[in-house]
Amino acid sequence: MNNYPEVVAKIANDYLDRVKAQLRLVPVREQAEFLAEIESHLYEAYQQMAGEDDVARILAVLRNFGEPAEVVFERLPHTMARSGKKRNVPLYIVGGIFIALFGIPLGFGGLGVLVGILAALAGLLVAFCTTAGSVILVGALCVLLGLVQALFPALFDSLVAHGVIQMGGPVGDFLDHFTHFEQGLMFILFGSVWLACGWGMLRLGRYLFRGLRFLAMLLFDRTRRFARGVRGKLRPENRDVPRVNHVAAV
Amino acid sequence: MVEYSEEGKDRRITQLRKGILELAIMGVLYNERHYGYSLVRVLCERGSIALKEGTIYPILARLDRDGLVGSQWVESAQGPPRKYYSLTASGRQLFDELSPEFDALVSLVRLKREAPEQAHEGKKLVIRKA
Repeated sequence: MNNYPEVVAKIANDYLDRVKAQLRLVPVREQAEFLAEIESHLYEAYQQMAGEDDVARILAVLRNFGEPAEVVFERLPHTMARSGKKRNVPLYIVGGIFIALFGIPLGFGGLGVLVGILAALAGLLVAFCTTAGSVILVGALCVLLGLVQALFPALFDSLVAHGVIQMGGPVGDFLDHFTHFEQGLMFILFGSVWLACGWGMLRLGRYLFRGLRFLAMLLFDRTRRFARGVRGKLRPENRDVPRVNHVAAV
Repeated sequence: MVEYSEEGKDRRITQLRKGILELAIMGVLYNERHYGYSLVRVLCERGSIALKEGTIYPILARLDRDGLVGSQWVESAQGPPRKYYSLTASGRQLFDELSPEFDALVSLVRLKREAPEQAHEGKKLVIRKA
């Protein structure tokens, strides 16, 4: 039973309420026992405190006892008081939920974008090479036709008669003004231009291939560094590796 | 020369006391049982230190939880009931094991204080990097 004066009881109860507020995460039973123990201490200290002024005495007792936050700070980790490592457990849970809800889908999305970019770059390279190959094939065929027309005009006419070579319209009318040999030379010249274009495309394609390979390696390297960084953060023992490998007193 | 602020010094003193206070409490409870207020009085009178009295209760709760002290509520004719603490067998055993460790640390600190300054002259701390 406490025999505090009313004003002292009010101050003491106010203090206990503040302690209780700090202990709101503590199980009720432990909370009550902790508060009862503090109440007992405050009462006895108040009785032992010398002085005329009751308020000054209880304030001195509370000053000696410490602030409520100090009283519970970092000393009740099993109760998840607002300090220590376990304080962060709810944050870890919330963080895990956020990662599960957003991080993983975004991670898959990012992976999808990365794969898409790489596939697009590969497609671009294949398309370019195919185009260059087509140009070279057209040029080679034109050169071959030119040689046939210049050296074997009867064979060329036979191919036209059988429909293997179809050449009519304005182009045919234009070519009728020239001899077979001249037509062959024109075909060879035209085919050579196409061959030159195809060869040029292949030359350019080599630089394009190197550029795309550089981009792919860059993306791969960045991804690997990111994964390594994440792995390092997940393993705290890998961090803070001392750079100094030898210390000696000379 | 590095100068520490008063606040920094107080913080270090507080940290130092927190580490030792648990052992000191176990030492007081080794031979006799105490309740919180009487324990504080003993610590302050024997140790001559200014102690925030409330700091011992979380320590006592932790020791209680770890089974190093036992507690018992006892009615008091002078006011609210008191919670008495006493060291358990495992608490005694742990105290017996920790005491030599603490003594070794104290002897190290005293050795530094008593060692002549000349002994350190001419020595440098060299750090070689890889």
